[in-house]
Amino acid sequence: MHGRGPAAPASSMRSLVTFLGTRLLRALVALWLVSTVVFVVMRLSGDPVPLLLPPDAPRSEYARVARELGLDRPLPVQYAVFIGNVLRGDFGRSLHFREPAMQVVVGYLPATLELGLTAFVLAVLVAVPVGLLSAVKRNSLLDQAAMGVALVGQSAPTFFLGILFILLLSLQAGWLPTSGRGGWEHLVLPALTLGAFTMASIARLTRSSVLEVLRQDYVRTARAKGLSEILVVAKHTFRNAAVPILTITGLQFGTLLGGAVVTETVFAWPGIGRLAIQSIYSRDYPVVQAVVFLSALLFIVLNFFIDVVYGLLDPRIRAR
Amino acid sequence: MSRLTRRELIKGAATLGAAAAAAPALGGRAQAQTTQKRELVVAQGGDISTFDPHISTSANDIRISFNIFDNLTARHADGKLHPGLATEWKLQGQTTWVFKVRQGVKWHNGDAFNAADAKWSIERTYDPAAKTRTNTVFSTIDRIEAPDATTLIIHTKKPDPLLPARLAFYGGQIVSRKYYEQVGADGFRSKPMGTGPVKFVSWTKDDRLVLEANGDYWGGKPDFDRMVMRAVPEMAPRVAGLLKGETDIITQLPPDQGDRVNANASTRVAGALYAGLYVIAVNSKVKPLDNPLVKQAMSLAIDRDLIVKELWRGRGIVPSGPIAKGDNHFDPSLPPLKYDPKEARERLKKAGYKGEEIVIETTSAYMANDKPMAEAIVAMWRDAGLNAKAEVVEYTVRAQKNRDKTFKGVWWSDPTSTLGDPDGMMWRLLAPGGPQDYWRHKRWDELGEAARFSVDEKFRAQAYKEMTAIVLEHFPWIPIVQPYEDYGLQKHVDWTPNPNQAFEVRRFNFKFKRA
Repeated sequence: MHGRGPAAPASSMRSLVTFLGTRLLRALVALWLVSTVVFVVMRLSGDPVPLLLPPDAPRSEYARVARELGLDRPLPVQYAVFIGNVLRGDFGRSLHFREPAMQVVVGYLPATLELGLTAFVLAVLVAVPVGLLSAVKRNSLLDQAAMGVALVGQSAPTFFLGILFILLLSLQAGWLPTSGRGGWEHLVLPALTLGAFTMASIARLTRSSVLEVLRQDYVRTARAKGLSEILVVAKHTFRNAAVPILTITGLQFGTLLGGAVVTETVFAWPGIGRLAIQSIYSRDYPVVQAVVFLSALLFIVLNFFIDVVYGLLDPRIRAR
Repeated sequence: MSRLTRRELIKGAATLGAAAAAAPALGGRAQAQTTQKRELVVAQGGDISTFDPHISTSANDIRISFNIFDNLTARHADGKLHPGLATEWKLQGQTTWVFKVRQGVKWHNGDAFNAADAKWSIERTYDPAAKTRTNTVFSTIDRIEAPDATTLIIHTKKPDPLLPARLAFYGGQIVSRKYYEQVGADGFRSKPMGTGPVKFVSWTKDDRLVLEANGDYWGGKPDFDRMVMRAVPEMAPRVAGLLKGETDIITQLPPDQGDRVNANASTRVAGALYAGLYVIAVNSKVKPLDNPLVKQAMSLAIDRDLIVKELWRGRGIVPSGPIAKGDNHFDPSLPPLKYDPKEARERLKKAGYKGEEIVIETTSAYMANDKPMAEAIVAMWRDAGLNAKAEVVEYTVRAQKNRDKTFKGVWWSDPTSTLGDPDGMMWRLLAPGGPQDYWRHKRWDELGEAARFSVDEKFRAQAYKEMTAIVLEHFPWIPIVQPYEDYGLQKHVDWTPNPNQAFEVRRFNFKFKRA
């Protein structure tokens, strides 16, 4: 292993700074690229002005509103104005709500975080033990049942699952409300729907990476030492299997943000996923740009933290 | 993921779930058909975008703004104009309308309402500085006077028989000058204040709007203490919420869900015949649609009874012409539009039709049944020998084509009769310079212009009769269906829907059935 010796503190400090610097630079480039792509794609996809006016508005009205919104200017000028404003933290005003776009998005964020975190925690809490058990009790009835359900969870489209849950658990069984945001009981169905794919993926991956580790020599050694099975799994297996699980878990959080678009629409959940889809349909450029920017930022920050946690789990990564 | 597939799959899922939730479960939930509820919960398909009634004309917004605010005149479910903030009005001479403004009305904040408020509010719609989206509604107005607190005099540029009707629809909601100037544009948009039966309490975007009953309402306090308007975009959860009893009223109930709602012990369907028509609008400038014989054949080839029966489950009627049933000058003696495929072939032969392609640009799930109807009609046209095909366009693309007048052949239009009169429907859209100006006919143009500015209803009746005959020869519109606008209701709700989407919950038309 590198970095051990008299010169170690200075060099590891330097490598930390380089590490953080590269990361930051990459993050900024990613944010710029994402913003630019969204800017261009939104403008290629359609004009918001006809949607803002009654269908019998005269042509002069269209021109007036376009001017009012600054959409009559050439695209490069609009882009320059957009980038200049973003650098000052200004994403423009929503065409639909007529409020600052970022303020609108931030207002929708708590609902998404509430749903996303619940779905995520639920997924991890269920999936990791199930995956672990499935691996340890390989080919048992439990393993087969769990993996069967996981396969369904991974392949059923989110909206299908959501509506099925509403009709069966809410309408027929009468256990939970059909839609909307409120107490914990409103959270159950959307969190299950949103978390289903993640739960299934994590469970399957946990099972396979634990199985992988169980085949390793050091596990055999541990068993040969006469350690109890619980200790073998808990101490020697799980920690080593954790890195791939963590990777997929981090990536899955991004999937959760994406899945929120559908889940929030089905369950009338007032979060940024639903805001995004509505803003795209109404060509509310500033809001779409703000949503995507914020989501990208969240994703980047999250990945950064996962990298840091990797380092804590696996010293080989820290040293690189 | 395309929107289309998603919708279709959702429909599939809904059917599957409906089968699972079969009769026993629903039968077991038979509820009392009376209630002690003091809260009315309504779910609509999309959220409000703004509370300023003059900057939006969308159905989701006006369902609320017509209740927070009052208009001078009000069109009730019977289709007639009734007093609103004005108690009476009359025409003096040709161009002067005198309104008697209601006394003793208070704004929600306790201020007294008077005629000067009404003057300012109407003028605001066309004040360029106010940047409203309703600035063309009152283009016939020359000037307004408010000589005293209860008199409002409106002078029109030319005779305008429909001014009281215009005041009943969007743009006509009366807002308070004093309050507006006090809170500013942003404050007004987020915390509206009017004279209507409900007062604003709070709004969580895309979740719920909370309103409370106005105890001092001049028309009497509505039969609830609170009203909650929820936004539930997907149809399946909206219907599920009604069946489960979470909501009292849901809007935009599709025809294929009506049986489910009626089969459930505690819910029912209530509908009003749409104040408007679903028509196929025609670009008569392109070949072969410039030939009236081809368009006559297109109309004759459509089996509208079948469309109403299969796609609308009977929730609609076959139109007889371009004037909606319920409007002024609708002619009840005209027969429904005819289906005669043999005659259609004859006229195509006579027209010398050589198989030129006819494209219908249809949206999908924007209007009820838009794509299914387009597919059915294309099949009927092909059977009659027309080389027809359907192309699906997104709603935004349709809005752009509407603005740029670039439709290729024919497309869907669902004109609302904003004034209860052909002037607010066929003339608004098909007139020279109008949004569907793709066809001109000298006599038709003259009649439309004359009828618009005539206060002689006998003359207008004659003019619209002749204009209807011209439309049925030239078909700038091929009318298809006049559907019902359906709502799902709990049986403990006694409410009559309004045909023109103005969702009114006032004392005279809404009450909870009490035990």
